[in-house]
Amino acid sequence: MATVVERTSGRASAREVVVWDPLVRLIHWSLALTVLLNGALVEEESKAHEWIGYAALGLVGLRLIWALTGPKYARFSAFPPSPAGAIHHLRALVAGDRTIHLSHNPLGALMVYNIWLSVIALGITGYMMTTIKFFGVEWVENAHEFVFGWLLVSVALHVAGVAFESWWSGVNLVRAMVNGRKSIPDGKEVK
Amino acid sequence: MKLRQRPAKTEERRATILSGLILLQALCALFFVGDVIEDFLGDGQLDDPLLLLESVAAIALIGGVIFLMVELRHLLSRMSDMQTGLNIAHGQLAKVIKGFFDEWNLTAAERDVAIMILKGLDNETIAQVRKTARGTVRAQATNVYAKSKTDSRAQFISLFVEELLAENQHLGDDADQGPSGQTNKQNMRGDTH
Repeated sequence: MATVVERTSGRASAREVVVWDPLVRLIHWSLALTVLLNGALVEEESKAHEWIGYAALGLVGLRLIWALTGPKYARFSAFPPSPAGAIHHLRALVAGDRTIHLSHNPLGALMVYNIWLSVIALGITGYMMTTIKFFGVEWVENAHEFVFGWLLVSVALHVAGVAFESWWSGVNLVRAMVNGRKSIPDGKEVK
Repeated sequence: MKLRQRPAKTEERRATILSGLILLQALCALFFVGDVIEDFLGDGQLDDPLLLLESVAAIALIGGVIFLMVELRHLLSRMSDMQTGLNIAHGQLAKVIKGFFDEWNLTAAERDVAIMILKGLDNETIAQVRKTARGTVRAQATNVYAKSKTDSRAQFISLFVEELLAENQHLGDDADQGPSGQTNKQNMRGDTH
């Protein structure tokens, strides 16, 4: 029976691609945890809320450093922020293109930067509220609230995008963010 | 049948642990740096021994994080190199196996049995997997040995190892040696008879 041989050669053509290194995955889930904790579970205006916020800032900072120094798929160059690329990608989606992106697809890349920037903005406005100069200043509090609302929308879109892409391309993206591997179905085009 | 754990598994665990340490240490570094900056902005005096100690701790932590990140980077690229090499080897081996099987005109059932022999299964297990009698498997295995002109399991397996080793040698110094795969195959046959 030839299937056994085929299975061996299937593995040989590397259909399981290691994409996300452990540091990327740890930072991703830790950041998700900090957002969940501060957004829903920990009381606002508590010390814990502050510390978790700083931890989130640190996580994003570490990820940015890793995006400059890390391996191929973790780098900025693997998912450059490009609105034009995102529009092009949208057009390709409408046209029925199911090409698999090993790193983030252009739309997903924009979402990544959006979420990082939102967390940074939350961290900065949050810190400002603890300083004497900005304590109780209304626009800072409003900005903090607004950015948090924006982050919630972004996270919802992020989850929806992951669900859609997983269904559309046949690559389970959640599993990829857990064990780091994207398993590419046979005969799919990869970018 | 339990196979030995591949070295890739332990490397993967090491990378995960390294990442966890980087994460924790980076957060600690952030804490200390923030603390030091705050103290300086307050009424910080450089000769305050506690502040000095905190500064040293902050610098040490940052240095540690950088060092660990470099280490992780190296470990990851080593792992990916190894994976690339393995993938190439898998592909070559699959090609060699298929080439031999075609040459020997193995039937589908014989191919199945031969693959399982290569994977180290004994006749009894093969019979269980294929849901046939042990005698059938033994007959098929005998056919495989006959067609490949070998007379034992070990010799049959060594045909493939020999092929891969010879290929390696060919890639090395002996550039003027002929198509070594072919010649070695002939030699091997000559030896067994």
